[in-house]
Amino acid sequence: MYTLEVQNPVAEQRGVVNSFTTSPRPKSLDGLTVGLLWSGTHGGDVALNTAADLIKQRFNDVTVNFYNGNNYPAPEHIRQKCAEESDVVIGATAD
Amino acid sequence: MIEIEKTGVPAVPIVSGRFVEDAVASTRAFGMPSLQWVVVPRIYRNLEHDLCRSQTADVIDDLIGQLTSEIDARVSDIDTVGSRTYEADDRYEAVLAMNDDLISEDFGDGLPLFPATKDAVEKMLTGTNLPPDHVVCDMPPGFGIATVEKIAINSVMAGAKPEHLPVVIAAVKAISNIQADGGKSLLMSTSPQAPFLIVNGPIIDELGFNPRSAIGPGRDNQVNTVVGRAFAMCFRNIGYWYPGKMDMDTIGTTRKFIQCIAENEEMSPWDPFHVDQGFNRDESTVSLFITDGELDQQDQGNTTAEGLLKNLAYGCVFGTKSIQEKGHTQRLILMPPDVAGPVGKQEFTKQAAKEFIQANANHSLGKMIQYMPLEGEARVAEKWKWLENLTEEQRLEIEFPVMDSAEDCYILVVGADRAKTAILPSGPAPVTEGIDQYRA
Repeated sequence: MYTLEVQNPVAEQRGVVNSFTTSPRPKSLDGLTVGLLWSGTHGGDVALNTAADLIKQRFNDVTVNFYNGNNYPAPEHIRQKCAEESDVVIGATAD
Repeated sequence: MIEIEKTGVPAVPIVSGRFVEDAVASTRAFGMPSLQWVVVPRIYRNLEHDLCRSQTADVIDDLIGQLTSEIDARVSDIDTVGSRTYEADDRYEAVLAMNDDLISEDFGDGLPLFPATKDAVEKMLTGTNLPPDHVVCDMPPGFGIATVEKIAINSVMAGAKPEHLPVVIAAVKAISNIQADGGKSLLMSTSPQAPFLIVNGPIIDELGFNPRSAIGPGRDNQVNTVVGRAFAMCFRNIGYWYPGKMDMDTIGTTRKFIQCIAENEEMSPWDPFHVDQGFNRDESTVSLFITDGELDQQDQGNTTAEGLLKNLAYGCVFGTKSIQEKGHTQRLILMPPDVAGPVGKQEFTKQAAKEFIQANANHSLGKMIQYMPLEGEARVAEKWKWLENLTEEQRLEIEFPVMDSAEDCYILVVGADRAKTAILPSGPAPVTEGIDQYRA
């Protein structure tokens, strides 16, 4: 019987070694501001606006703001503005 | 979405089914493996609006749940340490078993792999002066930690030799310097972008790189092939450039069997490319381009410099011209000695040749931008918005340079003794890395 031992070629990822956890969630979307972050790609805007319309039907006093990142990833100043002005964010790249 | 979550704001993307593995890979690469998303079956991009709405409505409960419920972290299941063992009647059968296993995990390119035993990796490491645990970079697009040891393991698997290792290390370092964000969105494209490597300097003759019929299989291209393959293995297992996960190419390309070719410095009338990039002629370097196509532009009889260069310019006008903010339309021209020689002798410097090509590489603007219907298109850069005021016929009639400047045109002399030029759409700007610093 022959035994062959080979080394693992796969590297650790920096994003796993130095990972972040997700943010605490609100219990409800009542009274909150929902940010819609779009990459500018066809169809993504339709998806986001659909989601926002359905959320507004289900929750009270929801404010919706739409942000056009115009690219993937969205420019930093757009991401920052979206984060500062929103309680939760929904994103779509249309992919 | 990850950057928004980091600010303390819950953020949930809508992902189409084909991109779920990409989403998993991306969250690991960009530092938030626990990011959640909702999945819809079809890509929105070319979908009718009614279908866009209905498939979004189908996932609204899930979306609201992701925004309002605490989430269990996703468990990482990628093994990155230790070794694997295969038992068989003899070494040959054990190597076959190893190949079945590693290829099934997508750790290879589909061709047989060499066994990266401890002894083989130690021998490979004699090719560099760097310690095994030295971190060369975080390799995009997955930002795997590229230690010298991991580069050596992948180089062994590709069939490289110790003297090849410094070239591979330099190429790995080079790709980490492509674009400000490490090229992460470009390298994850649904188009066939692929790295393309070219060496310059004394290492060409020292290691036997082929600068003539340099692209393709065969004995003369053995070093070109093996070094390119070693880099490709690193790109896969360190950069996480796995098809369907971070390499989201729609059709694919043979250029993903990456080769490392050489410039034909002996037969060039000009300084080699690495000198243009700021290196000395006697330094050895590897330059990394990102290409997304290839065209042969033959010449069957032009003898004047202008005639030869016009032919190349006309050959440059295929494909699309980017009108987006971050777009770049560049051309890598692999010019054979039978074109470069007469052009150089007729007193065109390389810069003058680039300027001539750029000035003559004009095409119908309407045809070049047909790929992006303008109506309702949000990604058109501000400087191109005037196009929206024109009819299709008007846009078709406008002749426009395919490249914005001569600096978008790269000329390297490669090839044997015929006037056949290879033109490769490319971008962003290439990166050149010195090899000598990594040698033993």
